[in-house]
Amino acid sequence: MSVIERTSLWRLGIQPNTRRKQKATAVLLAVSTLLQISIMACCSAQEASAGGPKRGGIIRYGHFQEPPCLFGGWVQQWYLQRQYSDNLVARREDGKIVPWLATSWTISDDRKVYIFEIKPNVKFTDGTPLDAQAVAENINGWLGNDPDRRNPTAAPYLEDSFESATAIAPLTLQITLKTPFQPLLNVLAQSSQGILSPTALKRGLAVNCNSPVGSGPFIVEKWNHGQNVVFRRNPDYNSAPSHAKHQGPAYVDGINWRFLADQTVRYGSLLTGESDVVYDIPAVAWKDANSRFAVLRHITGGTPLRLALYTARPPFDDVRVRQAFAYAADRRAAVELSFLGALPFEANGALSQSSPEYISGLGRSYGYDVGKANQLLDQAGWTEHNKDGIRLKNGKPLVVRISYSSAFLKPDGEQALQVIQQQAKAAGFEVRLQPTNQADFFAGKNLGPDDYEVVLLYWVAPGAEIFRISWKPDRNGQRNRYNPSRYQDEALWNVVQTAEQEFNDGGRTALYQQAERNIVEKAAVLGFTVLDVTLATSPRLKDVWLDRGSVGEPVFYDAHFVDVK
Amino acid sequence: MRVNSAAHVRIGRLAGRFVSAATVVWLAATFTFLVQCLMPGDRAQIIINMASGNVGEASPAELAAVNAKYGFDQPLVLQYGKYIWGILHGDLGLSYQQHRPVLDIIAEQIGPTIILAVAALIAAWVIAVLTTVLVAGQDNMWSTLLSGIQVFLATVPPYWLATILLVVFAVQLRIVPVIGGNSPIGLVLPTSALALELSGFLGQIVRSEFTRVLEQPFVISARARGMGELGVRFRHVLRHAALPGITLSGWAIGKLLSGAILIEAVFARQGLGGVLVAATSSRDVPVVSGAILISAGLFAVTNMLVDLTYRIVDPRIKMT
Repeated sequence: MSVIERTSLWRLGIQPNTRRKQKATAVLLAVSTLLQISIMACCSAQEASAGGPKRGGIIRYGHFQEPPCLFGGWVQQWYLQRQYSDNLVARREDGKIVPWLATSWTISDDRKVYIFEIKPNVKFTDGTPLDAQAVAENINGWLGNDPDRRNPTAAPYLEDSFESATAIAPLTLQITLKTPFQPLLNVLAQSSQGILSPTALKRGLAVNCNSPVGSGPFIVEKWNHGQNVVFRRNPDYNSAPSHAKHQGPAYVDGINWRFLADQTVRYGSLLTGESDVVYDIPAVAWKDANSRFAVLRHITGGTPLRLALYTARPPFDDVRVRQAFAYAADRRAAVELSFLGALPFEANGALSQSSPEYISGLGRSYGYDVGKANQLLDQAGWTEHNKDGIRLKNGKPLVVRISYSSAFLKPDGEQALQVIQQQAKAAGFEVRLQPTNQADFFAGKNLGPDDYEVVLLYWVAPGAEIFRISWKPDRNGQRNRYNPSRYQDEALWNVVQTAEQEFNDGGRTALYQQAERNIVEKAAVLGFTVLDVTLATSPRLKDVWLDRGSVGEPVFYDAHFVDVK
Repeated sequence: MRVNSAAHVRIGRLAGRFVSAATVVWLAATFTFLVQCLMPGDRAQIIINMASGNVGEASPAELAAVNAKYGFDQPLVLQYGKYIWGILHGDLGLSYQQHRPVLDIIAEQIGPTIILAVAALIAAWVIAVLTTVLVAGQDNMWSTLLSGIQVFLATVPPYWLATILLVVFAVQLRIVPVIGGNSPIGLVLPTSALALELSGFLGQIVRSEFTRVLEQPFVISARARGMGELGVRFRHVLRHAALPGITLSGWAIGKLLSGAILIEAVFARQGLGGVLVAATSSRDVPVVSGAILISAGLFAVTNMLVDLTYRIVDPRIKMT
């Protein structure tokens, strides 16, 4: 599952004027900053008085992209689902799993049977009781064969280990696994695994996409396509996660979730007071936003945005050439230059820095070193040069084609790739960039086995459980489609599987870190940058927080307005 | 008898017009449908990848399920036949992504787009006519300046202009809201962004014709009758000078509909633009084809209206 970034215009490749536009916008935004700092400086927020947070008000939220359906595997759908549905369990910032719809659970000694006690008296907002049977139906749907019910996030984690989900008592759910899988609870905590009303699900995909029904703090009232989703408060809400700041219904009356694809409009609407909170602060306004608003940021776990090197044929079948490519460009400088500090560099290609198993030392691997790159390439037999300075082996030039799409890369990132292209040339690489529009990219253009040496992708997850998705080798003729490096290492896979079955936290982390070191050392993937979720909130709005399940969805359940003098 | 046959001829010609318009629409639908189906890349693969938010070759079983569900496993001729048959019955199919009827999707979005396009056309005409009538044909600084501004407006990218208008008038001066929604005040900036460019085109055309007509004998005779300068310009000259502009308006509607797509994105306005862009980037064939079909239909209807308008403005023109 991935965050698809940027506006549709970028996706279509309509961008001839944008560079100019960006500059103009930057200048004007800067001017507007100067004008407004003085106005804003006078207004300091004041907490609500002793009677608890103030009730009422509609949160005007400026979001970015509009998905085609209000639930699904794309994070744009997770953001929305977090508002109207509840999960079985929740994941705290420190990675600990805490009760949500399940008040408690036990795990059998062989780690294959989970028994969950479901919170009593919870109802979906269509009146259907939320009991063990309802949860079981959801889970069986995610992992079943009906394409309309299948869950594209849960399935790749659980399809190998899942056996069944059954209600053994009205409020007792049993999940049985074929093999132990410790990250199960992490998977259940992700918003795409929010529990939906089984009665509502029977209405079919078309109706559910438009008006899904959960048991969450907000109810989807209306989706005005192309404009907004209107949420209203669930007045009977009684199933908040245990780590929320309060229990019972939300403080605000609802959310006006507006789709504002253009960043000037989105951030501008916060400046003019037309929005109370906006998503994805533009790089040009990053400093301004931090000086003026409350800024929330979540760096997503799982993989970083990384370069996957195609290891199944030359030149990157040779680990020395892969490492040489890593040394050949100053990726850190390229990223810092391009994102203006709005996104940090990430050198650890295996795991993003917010994952609990992250080894920070690997965040400094493969620093810029052309000498080392040249040495490795010489050793690998790329010793000849053509007249352009590109290395040759057996008469073949050292060509690296990088496939990428605006669907996975913010537009600023393209500059970083151009820097890498230039720098790698000094070591004798001929780097060709293959920008691909979203539709073509999803259709597989520039992604075939002979189409690329490098592809830029990522996959958001809580942490190292992502290794299963990335590094599961092909089995019985079944290709692992999520392994674009085509790097298959049975030893690595064994470590990953052992880690998944290890319920001692220290032991599991050690195993995952062993895998992590191995991945970085073999350089089948090279780190680039991270994915983040940022929110800027007006001083009028307090206690908005970001979910730490994995994606960082905005949570408006605890949010409340304060009077600003 | 003569009257009757003349009427027949007229009806026949109207029918001819209608048939040619229908042909245009049919060709547009066919072209879009076929181009999208024949583009490299598997539609089932896109649907699966869009649903999971990731790329990667899906398993044969997964692909087969999706192919069967959407009928992609049928021969293309059959898919096309079904599509056209559906159109004839007012059914544009189901969206691959939204799982809703395409007609519903377009119906809820087309209103704001038409309002924007028409408002922009009217605004462009008002700007073009006022500036031309007041300034054209006068060999002075204002006339030169106007011409320069018109050329600038006609060539500046509306997307860029829109952003500048937005930052200046909404973020800075706060005269209009940043998020106008569907309110009349929210129409001001998008309309201006679209209309200013078009007014440049229209103004240039109307102005050159206007200058030519100003020197015609009937203008001199009107002046000789003692008519005031403004009266001459509005009552006599404009009527002649407007004809090429009206021709251009038919084309302009097409341009405005496509321009609206970009402008809607900038101003976060509801409309066909957002739908079309999203559908194109997910290759949602029924939605793209439907949107093209409806736009082509609008374009054809507008051009028929333009033809009729000619005769009102200049009764000498017979429909031939």
